[in-house]
Amino acid sequence: MLKINDINVYYGPIHAIKGVSFEVHPGEIVALIGANGAGKSTILKTISGLLRPKTGSITFMDTDITKMEAHKIVQQGLAHCPEGRRIFLRMTVMENLEMGAYTQKGVDEDIIESVFARFPRLKERRRQVAGTLSGGEQQMLAMGRALMSRPKMIMLDEPSMGLAPLLVEEIFDIIKTLNESGTTVLLVEQNAGMALEIAHRAYVLETGRITLSGTGKELATSDEIKKAYLGG
Amino acid sequence: MLLLSQLINGLQLGSIYALVALGYSMVYGIIMLLNFAHGDIIMAGGYIAVLILTAGRNPVLAIILAIIGCVLLSVLIEKVAYKPLRSAPRISLLITAIGVSLFLQNMAQLLFTANARSFPNTVVIPAINFRIGSINISLTALVTIVVTIISMICLTLLVQKTKMGKAMRAVSEDTDAAKLMGINVNSTITFTFATGSTLAGIGSILYCCRYPLVSPTMGSLLGLKAFVAAVLGGIGSIPGAMIGGLAIGFAEVLVSAVGLSEWTDAVVFAILIIVLLVKPTGFLGRSMQEKV
Ligand SMILES: Nc1ncnc2c1ncn2[C@@H]1O[C@H](COP(=O)(O)OP(=O)(O)OP(=O)(O)O)[C@@H](O)[C@H]1O
Ligand SMILES: [Mg+2]
Repeated sequence: MLKINDINVYYGPIHAIKGVSFEVHPGEIVALIGANGAGKSTILKTISGLLRPKTGSITFMDTDITKMEAHKIVQQGLAHCPEGRRIFLRMTVMENLEMGAYTQKGVDEDIIESVFARFPRLKERRRQVAGTLSGGEQQMLAMGRALMSRPKMIMLDEPSMGLAPLLVEEIFDIIKTLNESGTTVLLVEQNAGMALEIAHRAYVLETGRITLSGTGKELATSDEIKKAYLGG
Repeated sequence: MLLLSQLINGLQLGSIYALVALGYSMVYGIIMLLNFAHGDIIMAGGYIAVLILTAGRNPVLAIILAIIGCVLLSVLIEKVAYKPLRSAPRISLLITAIGVSLFLQNMAQLLFTANARSFPNTVVIPAINFRIGSINISLTALVTIVVTIISMICLTLLVQKTKMGKAMRAVSEDTDAAKLMGINVNSTITFTFATGSTLAGIGSILYCCRYPLVSPTMGSLLGLKAFVAAVLGGIGSIPGAMIGGLAIGFAEVLVSAVGLSEWTDAVVFAILIIVLLVKPTGFLGRSMQEKV
């Protein structure tokens, strides 16, 4: 479904992503794990068109999106829920969701209802300004907003960041049910334990290179991973 | 009663500043640029109107073409001068804006000479005065205030209710996040320039009706004062620009009313300095650091 082929990404002189290739198949949850600064967010930004790879190519559903503008990539059915949530804090919950549906002809009631069904708390707060939401609610809004474009695939960048353990569980449950209802997921996480638990497959990124890959289970039980990311 | 007619005077002047200040504030809100060429857009609008009017054409046509001219010119400037600098440091953008401003002024001087042309203002708005009790209100003042109120209502509806308006707010809050929503950031920026310069075009006509002289440099002082209004209201804030514009208009009228009319410009810039020292975010501006 998504194919990354040998991409190199630079920030000025800094070579952040060094020849990364990987693939996501339809229906999968694929996790991308790695330490701070490994380049996880950089990869997602490159896929969604916020950054450009110097070399290499990216294909989504048989379309070459390497040089496509970010706003057109969303239209292809690939949504990106960025690190730090990046919701529009000065706009209301409802307006944030409307922005999520920007690529759609109108904001149709069905999709709003389906997002509210997944995140009932957003419904209660739909007239509230997003900046007044709690951290967990903001994360739900960020995910709900990304779902408004009816994506075939969603990329989530550290959805559990800064959340209390109970909320982290809730978010991961939502990701799982989302996937079960047919949305392909590319999940970036520092919380490697949880990510590997729900991921079908995973890749490990270290300073801009993929160093390991395998099924979620394989990696969760691998000694290297245990030592480096699972605290033991 | 003198107070009341001064109030209307201040409202008229303040309305014009507010219309121009909105253009500064909206553009700053969306690309963090103090568009110093904005005042010169007003000058361009003035020349378009004066050329059409002195050719004896219909004032409605003159108004419409002046507004369209302002929009086209500012969109063209955005495309040619600012868009290539989208990812350049903000200071390069600022210097470019100053360059564009000087270019427009010199261009006008070349085309129309440095001499001011008189604007046939009574053709646009007849010189009628209403007497209510002991106060005198000119039709020009009345039209200026009403047109400004209507423009503000339309702008507010546009920004709050329409899809494009919401996209403008989204882009001005977080450009990258807006892109991820599928918003075409470039066309949203173009639309913002077009909206700001529509207001500038309207402001240009109203300004010329009050001060009926069109010259290559007419936009610079007006532009600067509107810029002060935008800063006073809180740059980037639409209601702030409206309030700031009115405040500057009232301040000027007040200073002249107490007999210090040659001090008005100095007072306006003193206000700028005080705002920058005491509360750089103005009345309604947000602090520069956004919470993460
Ligand atoms: N705008 C930037 N300019 C220069 N270097 C950057 C920029 N953004 C990221 N980098 C560098 O690129 C590398 C990868 O950063 P990236 O944000 O992709 O890491 P990450 O894996 O997402 O980390 P984290 O887990 O902390 O989010 C880091 O070394 C970082 O310092
Ligand atoms: Mg990151």
